[in-house]
Amino acid sequence: MTSAIFFRTSKYFRKKYNVRMLLMLVPGLVVMGMFTFYPIIKMFVMSFFDWKIGYNQVSPFVGIKNYLTVFSDPITGMALANTMFYAVVTVPGQMILGLIAALLINGIRKFSITFRLLYYLPVITSWVVVALLFRYIFSNQGLLNYLLTDVFKWIPEHIGWLSTRWPAMTAMTLLGIWKGIGWNMVIFLAALQAVPEEYYEAASIDGAGSIQKFFHITLPSIKGTILFCTIMLIIGAFNTYTPIAVITGGNPAHQTDVVLTWMYYQTFSSFKMGYAAAFSFVIAAVVAVIAVTLFKVIRPERV
Amino acid sequence: MLKKPGMKSIFVKNKRVLSSPMLIKYLLLLLGLTVMVTPMIYMITSSFRPNSLTFTYPPKIIPDVSELTVENYLYILFKQNFFRYMLNTLYVAGATTILAAIISSMLAYCISRFRFPGRNMLYGTIITIMLIPGLAMLVPQFELAVKFKLIDNLWGVILFYTAWVTPFSTFLIKGFIDNIPRELDESMYIDGGTVFTIYQKVIIPIASPAIAAVSIFNFLFAFEELGWAQTILRTDQVRTLSVAITQFFQAHNRTDWGYVFAMTNLSMIPVIILYLLLQKYFISGLTSGAIKG
Repeated sequence: MTSAIFFRTSKYFRKKYNVRMLLMLVPGLVVMGMFTFYPIIKMFVMSFFDWKIGYNQVSPFVGIKNYLTVFSDPITGMALANTMFYAVVTVPGQMILGLIAALLINGIRKFSITFRLLYYLPVITSWVVVALLFRYIFSNQGLLNYLLTDVFKWIPEHIGWLSTRWPAMTAMTLLGIWKGIGWNMVIFLAALQAVPEEYYEAASIDGAGSIQKFFHITLPSIKGTILFCTIMLIIGAFNTYTPIAVITGGNPAHQTDVVLTWMYYQTFSSFKMGYAAAFSFVIAAVVAVIAVTLFKVIRPERV
Repeated sequence: MLKKPGMKSIFVKNKRVLSSPMLIKYLLLLLGLTVMVTPMIYMITSSFRPNSLTFTYPPKIIPDVSELTVENYLYILFKQNFFRYMLNTLYVAGATTILAAIISSMLAYCISRFRFPGRNMLYGTIITIMLIPGLAMLVPQFELAVKFKLIDNLWGVILFYTAWVTPFSTFLIKGFIDNIPRELDESMYIDGGTVFTIYQKVIIPIASPAIAAVSIFNFLFAFEELGWAQTILRTDQVRTLSVAITQFFQAHNRTDWGYVFAMTNLSMIPVIILYLLLQKYFISGLTSGAIKG
């Protein structure tokens, strides 16, 4: 019955309202077409040239040379490895801590709104601000070194956090996790509240403990949310530009570059436009493969 | 219905004011809270200390009252172009938010309700574009900006930000519109409504929570974006806060943390006000996309 109505209506729409509907599509198509679709196609073309941006300069066609360089350049490999490291640590890190925070906040009665409000503060603070703050905290004479050596006495002397590759990347991931916990907490909190209470009551009657309830009821019920968060966070991890640009600027010697800071450097400091374009396509392909694989592995019931 | 003798005792046990599992929960949350807010408190207290003291070792999270000064704030507010930067940023974020809300809600409505040729391809493209970081298209977009004379022009960031946020906004709003019953549309058609009146009187009012949530995200994104803004906005008069703060920091490198933090704290004021006013939307809309997935 309802489907018949739908069918009839959609036919009705098609006949009578096409022109008006197309008018509504125009602004979106124009803006996206000009500022996204066209640049993507242009970028694909550029990736086969040694592209010159200067007026009246000739850009020689180089075939797939740019792509070959992407796969053989050691710094590109390093930038990709740094991004992967950042993604592999921060994505599960902030999801697990965010889920724990959500479970705890969901389980308390008083002050739950206060906790939620304050845990969310780093999320709304802009990246430039938190990046500068962490640069200050992680400096040699900074707060973190002071706490680790003089207050808790966990390490004997100060660590030069931002002057070598792995300590610097560790600082970046700590920043990423710290800033992301609140976002995950809010999403998981809503997902937890959507799980029907009866499931837990039934499990209690069957004598399930809280750990069993978590693994057999909570986790399967929030599977779709986990997938959503994972994909959004991976896209976010590959989008990381500001914290690296502000905290280390890729130094020392590009050892802390991530894909976007390296691409930015290639474009505006080395002027290798074609190379940067090819690199963009490789990154987009990597993200797409990861996203599709996640969909296949987690398999949400409905999307 | 399922009342067993055991149920009652569980209920009574949880009702106690602070059972020990409850106490552990609060302690863990407080521990987490310390980690979450200490850096923020440190930033606020440092901004009220003289620049020379921000380098002394050991660092102080809670400074002595005698050290406190508002000099940093006065310097940023009256010796720097701060109000200009703030105005530029609010203009960019506001315009991006409004444009993106209009464009993406119309796109979402068309994709959700009509079967026009190329619809699936359009939606597929939108999903795919979400995977590509905006800044990855730097080179062709920069060329485009040069061609349209958008360098050093606030619209050079507004138009590109709008194009970057539209795919995700469309995706979320479409998910919401899909759940609005089509019978509502049909009753409007019967009353002589057109596509426009349905958009205006049915879609916009019902989908407003989703549009509000998406708008908050777009606002925050445009408010804080750095990479593209620093590429396009090169003169002082057009700088947004993110660019200005970064430039200011680089110019006062390793010296004036008091100034830097006064500037960052001031820059956060609009976002904090927005957050406190629209708290409900920050959370509800965020989850409308997530739970469905």
